Amino acid sequence: MIKDRLGKELLFFDGGMGTLLQDRGLGPGELPETWNLIHPDVIRDIHRAYIEAGSDIVLTNTFGANALKFHDDGCSLEEIVKKGVENVKKAAEEAGTGRTVYTALDIGPTGKLLKPMGDLDFETAYEAFKEVMVWGEEAGADLIHIETMSDTYELKAAVLAAKENTSLPVFATAIFDERGKLLTGADVPSVVALLEGLRADAIGINCGMGPEQMLPVLEQFLKYSSLPVIVKPNAGLPKQRDGQTYYDVDPEQFAGLMKRITQMGAAVIGGCCGTTPGHIRKMRELCGEIPIVPVKEKEFTVVSSYGQSVFLGSGSKIIGERINPTGKKRFKQALKEHDLDYILREGITQQDNGAHILDVNVGLPDIDEPALMKEVVQELQSVTNLPLQIDTVDGEAMEAALRIYNGKAMVNSVSGKQESMDTVFPLIKKYGGVVIGLTLDEGGIPGDADGRVRIAEKIIREAEKYGIRKKDIVIDALAMTISSEPEGAKVTLETLRRLRDELHVCTVLGVSNISFGLPSRPVINSSFYTMAMMNGLSAGIINPASEEMMRAWYAYHALMNLDPNCENYIGKYASAAPAVSTAAQTGKSSMGLQEAIIKGLREEAHSVTLAMAEEQEPLDIINSELIPALNRVGEGFEKGTVFLPQLLMSAEAAKSAFAVLKDRMDQSGEVQEKIGTVVLATVKGDIHDIGKNIVKVLLENYSFDVIDLGKDVPPEQIVETVLSKNVRLVGLSALMTTTVVSMEDTIKQLREKAPGCRVMVGGAVLNQDYADMIGADFYGKDAMQSVHYAQKLFEGGN
Amino acid sequence: MERREKEAVRYLGFGKNAVDDRTLALIRESFEDLDREAGKKSVHRVFDVEQTAEDRIVIGPMDIKSRSLGRNLKGCEKVILFGATLGTGVDRLITRTSLTNMAKAAVLQACAAALLEEYCDECQEKIGEEMGKEGMYLRPRFSPGYGDFDISHQETLMRMLDCAKTIGLTMTDSFMMTPTKSVTALIGAGKLRMNCPVSGCETCGKKDCSFRR
Repeated sequence: MIKDRLGKELLFFDGGMGTLLQDRGLGPGELPETWNLIHPDVIRDIHRAYIEAGSDIVLTNTFGANALKFHDDGCSLEEIVKKGVENVKKAAEEAGTGRTVYTALDIGPTGKLLKPMGDLDFETAYEAFKEVMVWGEEAGADLIHIETMSDTYELKAAVLAAKENTSLPVFATAIFDERGKLLTGADVPSVVALLEGLRADAIGINCGMGPEQMLPVLEQFLKYSSLPVIVKPNAGLPKQRDGQTYYDVDPEQFAGLMKRITQMGAAVIGGCCGTTPGHIRKMRELCGEIPIVPVKEKEFTVVSSYGQSVFLGSGSKIIGERINPTGKKRFKQALKEHDLDYILREGITQQDNGAHILDVNVGLPDIDEPALMKEVVQELQSVTNLPLQIDTVDGEAMEAALRIYNGKAMVNSVSGKQESMDTVFPLIKKYGGVVIGLTLDEGGIPGDADGRVRIAEKIIREAEKYGIRKKDIVIDALAMTISSEPEGAKVTLETLRRLRDELHVCTVLGVSNISFGLPSRPVINSSFYTMAMMNGLSAGIINPASEEMMRAWYAYHALMNLDPNCENYIGKYASAAPAVSTAAQTGKSSMGLQEAIIKGLREEAHSVTLAMAEEQEPLDIINSELIPALNRVGEGFEKGTVFLPQLLMSAEAAKSAFAVLKDRMDQSGEVQEKIGTVVLATVKGDIHDIGKNIVKVLLENYSFDVIDLGKDVPPEQIVETVLSKNVRLVGLSALMTTTVVSMEDTIKQLREKAPGCRVMVGGAVLNQDYADMIGADFYGKDAMQSVHYAQKLFEGGN
Repeated sequence: MERREKEAVRYLGFGKNAVDDRTLALIRESFEDLDREAGKKSVHRVFDVEQTAEDRIVIGPMDIKSRSLGRNLKGCEKVILFGATLGTGVDRLITRTSLTNMAKAAVLQACAAALLEEYCDECQEKIGEEMGKEGMYLRPRFSPGYGDFDISHQETLMRMLDCAKTIGLTMTDSFMMTPTKSVTALIGAGKLRMNCPVSGCETCGKKDCSFRR
């Protein structure tokens, strides 16, 4: 078993395949995997050369063999994969070196980008990997080697597919650039965190660079990884000659550098593009006798997103608490109305205010929490690179979120109750994560620190049974309000201190609970926050929009020398005198609302409206100020004196004024009549949605209710929405001729199932003729024309 | 104004009109954001090109029927396959900004397009220098989807460049590039020096385009 040798002795991979095949006559654009069937002799020759040169692990020629990348009607994918495994095994027999040779099923990327940045579903990628892996295991592969991955999300799909569908060891390597990052932005600690969480067996780096350029990336791997590290460089950086790519680090140089890499601590070494049996032979000669550096467990508590990692333990991290319906009427309404934009904006605002991690809780009675949680997590990942904290008591929602989360999540939470641990720990074991352990159990919340520390110990012990280490547990010392528990704060602080000093475990608190029921809560909260950080709080779950809390945070880090040269503090407060102009704050601006909107001044429009709303009825303001201003801007746009950015700045200014007025109306129970409901969508296959988003902002300005279905929307979903919400107007956008086809299809389906519904279309390639040809009711040359059409349709009463 | 700023103004539909101060401020702010978020990458490879008829071009495994590409590549012995991207960071920035400030999002969109063109021009200039050493001169970039050059050739082109691996550029089922701010193109190279502009409005047949220079 390779697992018995891994990390105990140096193991040798093989080298490049593609370049050798090109030398043997593989044409540009030809699929190398087909050679498993049509030229098995050549493939086996190459495998044998590597085995003779000293490779212990030989990769099957299946790098691009997955259903998403491999399109060749002449060959069956299953045959190619199975034959690929057989070729290595036969070559090992033929070579007869007497050494054990392990057949590694080679898994490369799909060549497609996953959603939300691309169009590939996570589960589709998973299925593509799964089928190949199952065939590979059936054919007798000894391990799975996932390599050359440049996206953590795809990496996760592949590792998960291997772990869930085979019993083979999983090696996984990614392709880093000279900045030490993946093409999609992840740094080394976040890749390590993700792969360790998914329980890969060995992890590392391949391709992209030569051995020399890999050294800094390797250093980072060795610093953070508790798993054996794999290094498979190219034979230098690619160069071009006569249109051909070549690599010029020769076997001698390569082996010399690999020796250094082994001495640094690599446990499995080999070569990638441009390396040959010659390189591997030299490498084995030079490195064969070097004693391996034993792998040590690292004690970092780290969570990650697709693009960054956050370490707990140094200073105190801020976990934004705002994505949570508890006690928030507006948020509950957003959840009920499926207003994802509102939720996403809460995330963005918290990041702008300084949060390091975002808590995500979407639990409400009568809501499909697993589905919504999954959707919100996915969407948040398209607008923020902060790691997320999955906050739910619903095991199904927790699993759904952990599965599709792109990174190593924080999980809120497990408690000392057996039932909770039985539910949560298996999920952490499978998907990875840093889990918050609440210091309460079947007996309730202990009134003293002793009891809470004991529960923390119990949680840590139970986690160990699953192989979950203490570094992946963060204990919540629980803050109980001092209005009913006079000793509450003292107990919490003592618990924090003891967790830090005695258990050496990270800690977390929902800080603001401490003041529940008291007036001027920020006064208490911010002081308690400072005290908690002083006693070792690793992360506080707080509202980053609270000025008092953020002051406490910045001051604490400056005072405790956790903010070198007080840089963050100075950056935040050096120019912090009255930040917003007083005129804007008090609304004593000489500017009228119309002028603010026409000039597109968002802050002014907001403050002027606040002032006006003190004296006038919201509806009067809308009719006498807002609408006329919007009309003037709209007319200017049509005359060619106002241009798109100005139109949109005015729209944003109007929006901020509307928000103030809507607030007022909600308070007084007044309702502004909406003109009608419009469904907007960017059609299936199309991912360019800026035009649709522009139309949306304008329609909302003109008092339309907009149901925004997003981009890449299947016709069926549009039809279903139209029918279920009884909608009279649909706006569709498409960018290219290739996607106008789905626009036509959508219109056809709408005509059939919802004949009363009108369709307006827009987008770069469209014009009136084209729109007529696909049967649209209206072609909007620009966003304002769509607004006018909608107005005519609804106000004309037809 | 810098050239890229002028281009952004054009993309935003100002035509021959002067840009206002607030939009210009947004444009400058957007370029700053983009310079921070963009992960510019490019790849190119040189191939032999064979033109068997006016509208028939063969490049390795690519057999293309296109009159407009034929015109573009006339007299070229070599062709450079080229791919470039600003990376996923830019897409995320625009998605994120669409939620908080649509005016800024629209400006970012235009600036990203201008930045991408500028980057492609820089790359092309370097390629031009390389080819110049061999006595070859470049033609303007020509992308799948231009004129009658069928966009479905995108797939082969991207495979020949191994774009996904080299620069993280992939394609959706409907031939859209992801990250969205990306370009693939052919650049002809021939011994004959042709007097031609680097960028393309003048070569485009769509005369009624509102963004035409």
